[in-house]
Amino acid sequence: MDELMEILEDIAPDVDYETEDRLIDGKVLDSFSIVSLVAAISEEFDIEISPKYLVPENFNSAKAMWEMIQRIQEEE
Amino acid sequence: MALTSIQFLIFTVCLLVVYYALPKRFQWCVLLASSMLFYCMAGWKNAAYILVTAVSTYFAARRMQTLAERQTAFLKANSGLSREEKRAYKAKIGAHRRRLMAVTLVLNFGILCVFKYASFALSQVNGLIRLFGSEGFSGTFQFLVPLGISFYTFQTMGYLIDVYWKKVDAQKNFCKLLLFVSFFPQITQGPISNYAQLSEELFTPHAYSFENYKDGGIRMIWGFAKKLVLADLLAPYVSAVFAHYTEYAGITVLIGAFFYSIQIYADFSGYMDIVCGLCQMLGIRLTENFERPYFSKSIAEYWRRWHISLGAWFKTYLYYPIAVSKWNQKLGRRAQKRFGKHFGQTLPASLALVAVWLTTGLWHGASWGYIVWGGVNGLFIIFSLWMEPVYEAAKRRLHIHEERWLWRAFQTVRTFMLVTLIKVLPEVGGLRNGLGLWKRIFTNHSIPKSFSALLPFAKKGELILILLFTAALFIVSLIQRRQPARQWFTRWPKVLQLLFLAILILAALFFGSSGNAGGFLYAQF
Repeated sequence: MDELMEILEDIAPDVDYETEDRLIDGKVLDSFSIVSLVAAISEEFDIEISPKYLVPENFNSAKAMWEMIQRIQEEE
Repeated sequence: MALTSIQFLIFTVCLLVVYYALPKRFQWCVLLASSMLFYCMAGWKNAAYILVTAVSTYFAARRMQTLAERQTAFLKANSGLSREEKRAYKAKIGAHRRRLMAVTLVLNFGILCVFKYASFALSQVNGLIRLFGSEGFSGTFQFLVPLGISFYTFQTMGYLIDVYWKKVDAQKNFCKLLLFVSFFPQITQGPISNYAQLSEELFTPHAYSFENYKDGGIRMIWGFAKKLVLADLLAPYVSAVFAHYTEYAGITVLIGAFFYSIQIYADFSGYMDIVCGLCQMLGIRLTENFERPYFSKSIAEYWRRWHISLGAWFKTYLYYPIAVSKWNQKLGRRAQKRFGKHFGQTLPASLALVAVWLTTGLWHGASWGYIVWGGVNGLFIIFSLWMEPVYEAAKRRLHIHEERWLWRAFQTVRTFMLVTLIKVLPEVGGLRNGLGLWKRIFTNHSIPKSFSALLPFAKKGELILILLFTAALFIVSLIQRRQPARQWFTRWPKVLQLLFLAILILAALFFGSSGNAGGFLYAQF
């Protein structure tokens, strides 16, 4: 989770990722940030995030992203 | 059947009566029958193509679902298999599902391409052949394009990809899928809905609600007035200026371009108000297509607020798949090492944006005008993405505060002007004319000596009405920043509400029956 927090801080600082749960719906992250985020997460966790995972529910909070990463790791 | 015709009003009244008179479980059947009737009234011969789309998608999606279920059952029954054996089985099923999807996509996008682009492609091939001194192919492709083919093809292919991605289950009932494909309020101009959202609305029974009737009815009246009064009053001015732009001063042509921006917004959002209002009366919530787009502060933001459903489709099914593809991500990492972090991060998105904007241009029409129009929009978005660090540094140095109203107003006006200039490119009868119109605006600085020279076609009464209605649209947009306009409107005294609605109805009836009522602009796409 710490690695994910570092990635998020790097892409969009000044956001409280512990509590924020509307990163997409609240327009904190846009589609450009998502692409950068996917690149960084894929490299850090050595996983392939296919487009089917790119839905707001998976990116609205750090917790949702972490759960998505774990799900992909299990599937792979 | 035009949405602004008396036949459509009669059709709507009959639908609403039957929809709520029959038991609720038959409501979706009523919608399907209405959709088929609506489609066949526009030309029953072309109904074959929408049926091909529905049938091919139905069977492909069902088969993909069966394969996915078979995979789950097999892996559950054979939990002792090694990781490699499981992977190999998944890969085999995955390849089968992918082939099914690819064939169905090629078939349906192929039909769309033949209808929309065959003639354009042939003319380009002939042009190339003539460059080498040969005659080229004789004959042309002259098709009657099936109603709403761009909209229903995109919506249905979105469903197919969602089933492939296992985001939704394949619909078991063919008739229900046919309703999703052909739902009449959105068949001619969208919105392009996603299956998860629209299927829930279409197949859930809806109880009669006076509130829905009232709010939906008010929205329909507002939509009719936008289209029949404002858009159709502006249409002759815009056509006249665009058709003879070389005869007018640059300022007159620029006003014509602004009028066109207002016309196309009133036309398209008026249509959306009519169909969203009708759907609300049926208890159905349609995806919204507009969020006060002319208040955007950048071109990228504008496209997130104009024709939202098309943008969402491209983002989900084209932008993300290209931007996060393995090769693109690899390219981004290499670029990051060589040219720095910002370039490496923006490169995958930029390449995806090029594909998205050229396709968006082509989606709107088969001409170089639309391709260049898409390209120009894409260039602005990509350029601002790349220049972001420079902008940020400049803003810090110049002490520009993002939240100051003057800066926001400047950004809004700048974006509106850019959008207006880009919009006219494909709309003046070809790219050459579009560029000629730009040239006229930027190089002809003559000042018209009188009002009649500034606006040669303007009739005083019509112009006052246009300005009043545009001001009303502006005020409604300002109100929508804080609350839904309908909520604000229903707080008016009842007498004023009724008076305002009566004026809108009378104006729509008067101008709608005057013989000037034209078709909807987006129906051509």
